[in-house]
Amino acid sequence: MIDTASIMNILADTQLLSLFTSAAFIIVGLYGAIFLDNIIKKIIGIAFIEEGANLFILTLGYKQGGVIPIFLPGMNAEWFAANSAYPLPQALVLTTIVIGASVLAVMLAIAMVLYKKHGTLSASEIFGDKKIISRNKNSTSKNRGSNNFDDVGDANE
Amino acid sequence: MELYDKIVNSFKGITSIKEKVKDDLTTNESVSSALAAELVLISTLLIAAIMFRHINIILTIVVVLGLALILITNMPLIPKLIKEQSDSLEKMMFYVILTLGILITIIYWGTI
Amino acid sequence: MNELIALMVIIPIACALLLNLFHKKDNTVKIIAIVVAIVLPLIPILANFGLHYFGGHAPLITNPSLLEKVPETIANSSLAIFHPAVTYSYEAIQKVFIFFLGIVAFFAIFTSLSQNKKISGVLMFLMFMGTAAVTALLLSDDIFHMYIFFEIAALTQVGIILTSKTDNNYETAFKYLILGAIGAPMLLVGIGFVLGIVGSVNITDIVYAISQNLVYPFSHSLLIAFGLIFFGWLYVSGLPPFHTIKANVYSQALPNAAALLQVFTVITFIAFGITIFRIFSYLPFFKTLVLIFALLAMILGITMAIMQTDFRKMIGFLAVGELGYIGLGFGLGTELSITAGLFQGINEIIVTALLFIGFGTVLYLTKTSDTRKLGGMIEHTPKLAIMILIGGLAMAGVPPLNGFQSKLMIVQAALDSGFPEIAIIAVLISIVTFMVFVKAFHSIYLKPKPNNLKVLNKPVPNSSIIAITVLLILCIVLGLFPQLVTDSISQFAMGLI
Repeated sequence: MIDTASIMNILADTQLLSLFTSAAFIIVGLYGAIFLDNIIKKIIGIAFIEEGANLFILTLGYKQGGVIPIFLPGMNAEWFAANSAYPLPQALVLTTIVIGASVLAVMLAIAMVLYKKHGTLSASEIFGDKKIISRNKNSTSKNRGSNNFDDVGDANE
Repeated sequence: MELYDKIVNSFKGITSIKEKVKDDLTTNESVSSALAAELVLISTLLIAAIMFRHINIILTIVVVLGLALILITNMPLIPKLIKEQSDSLEKMMFYVILTLGILITIIYWGTI
Repeated sequence: MNELIALMVIIPIACALLLNLFHKKDNTVKIIAIVVAIVLPLIPILANFGLHYFGGHAPLITNPSLLEKVPETIANSSLAIFHPAVTYSYEAIQKVFIFFLGIVAFFAIFTSLSQNKKISGVLMFLMFMGTAAVTALLLSDDIFHMYIFFEIAALTQVGIILTSKTDNNYETAFKYLILGAIGAPMLLVGIGFVLGIVGSVNITDIVYAISQNLVYPFSHSLLIAFGLIFFGWLYVSGLPPFHTIKANVYSQALPNAAALLQVFTVITFIAFGITIFRIFSYLPFFKTLVLIFALLAMILGITMAIMQTDFRKMIGFLAVGELGYIGLGFGLGTELSITAGLFQGINEIIVTALLFIGFGTVLYLTKTSDTRKLGGMIEHTPKLAIMILIGGLAMAGVPPLNGFQSKLMIVQAALDSGFPEIAIIAVLISIVTFMVFVKAFHSIYLKPKPNNLKVLNKPVPNSSIIAITVLLILCIVLGLFPQLVTDSISQFAMGLI
């Protein structure tokens, strides 16, 4: 007889559970980015993909029964080398989180501008073949006029 | 007689390229460039298909003849090609995901 | 002076940050930008070849006193030769590419400073940041580092599109970001697989581990890593299926900026291409895959380019199609073909920049880029028209210009390695490239002038003329003396195989 608790324990002990989670993140994110129409939802999907990739790399550093990779005075170097977890993935993931955050910030900023310009968040209306009859011609032209370098600076800083 | 009609119709298909893409193309210049693109597409694809000879000669003959038949019977190819490569997000996304799927499938299961 | 290697990246980044601070102080921005832009092509000439270890963390084996202190299990294993820190390697090939990157960056910055009424510190920030990022891509020997700098370059590309005031720039930028958000994490996951297998992200270490059979070269994890990294390569370089969005990105930017954007793309393509070639070229189907995508890029790029009516899109698709030639170089995988491909990369950097800046003057004078509304421009700028014509001939591969030399080498390499079909296709595509260019040239310069075309009654800015002249001279010099660059490239290609 196999009980679910022991399976969960095995999954958690080996890094499998974490890997499955990251795969689920990526698949859910891809679904969101491809099939959902609302651009904010698309952006959320993209955030899921990035976090899935980050979790995947983070999981690689796992070592069963390992210790924190900090070499304290008095430690035996040989023992430390054999038992510490792998520190590199953590450093890499920190960097990708920063990059991912800045990509998200730029995407959200553009989403804001697109919403102002088109008056909608629907991707099929913004990008689609049906040309948007802009809800309010005056406001559209005003927005175009204000698309100067200063706005862009705000979006990128 | 039927075959003759078919060939004549196929040529009519080429000359009607102007109507099929009239959104963009109105001048002589654009029609001639559409024809050039058509010819380049067909000839390069056929020449590229000859490279199957490194795998198998008979396969090459079958592929080249089949490809030629398919390409010529669907004659104005360029309007379709341009429609597929438009910059609409859904089309681009579709091809991106399709490529990812095919690439991973071939690389992962194609080499066992 | 190995410190200069790191400075090649640090100087443009520092300058970018400064310019962002000085936004709206026009004169300060102008002076700093011009000075740094002049320095950029000079540093690679002054720097010595060598390696730069960040933080001074050299491999253990080069440091005997430290090697004695570590446990023997480590000292005797391959860990002793692994690179513990990010490593920059600066060789002859990097010198050539960074030099030409610096030249084009200088002219892009110079012309956009003198043509835009409002000097934008932000635009300058983006241009310098992008330049720094692709320089780091070329120098880096660390695949993760390359991913990070590619993301920075992609963000600056998006920013550069946003600074132009074209109609659909926000939409295009958003589409690029969404497609990128699918492509880039796949690349990252692929890098993660390699990290999980080898335990290092240093390319030299990965190559060592695979070639010494420390890891099983045909393991499924490595195969899937190859698939994902290859897909990432398609995204970073704008090969099909990403060619449409790449051409759109070029056409939405201002022409001066587009000249720089295409340099970013070519260099990213080459940097990642070399990396993938170094790591994965032992796989039997590697070359076939690269060839398929290179041919697809050429065919789709050129057929799309013929059908365009906007000349910026035309050059954009041509630039994407020309990437296929570089891909052919990697796909054939011989020393001659890789030399030819990389040489073609340099030529494409120069020629496409020339065409973007050159046709940019038409946009400057008429405010339109629709070839159906243009015509008769030769009476306004006859000398410029002839210079652009020569540039177009260089792109199509007419002797004695540089495009001819590299394309001839590719054709020869294809014949040598037993693929005459590829040689025929390469010649065919370059003929059609010529046709596309002639069509654009005819409809802009030679066709009778439409009545409703308004041309500004002022001369073309001198900065554009200087830029075009210098780039044209480079075209002719490289066409007459290709060994100036091919010597160092072929040396590198020999080491690659």
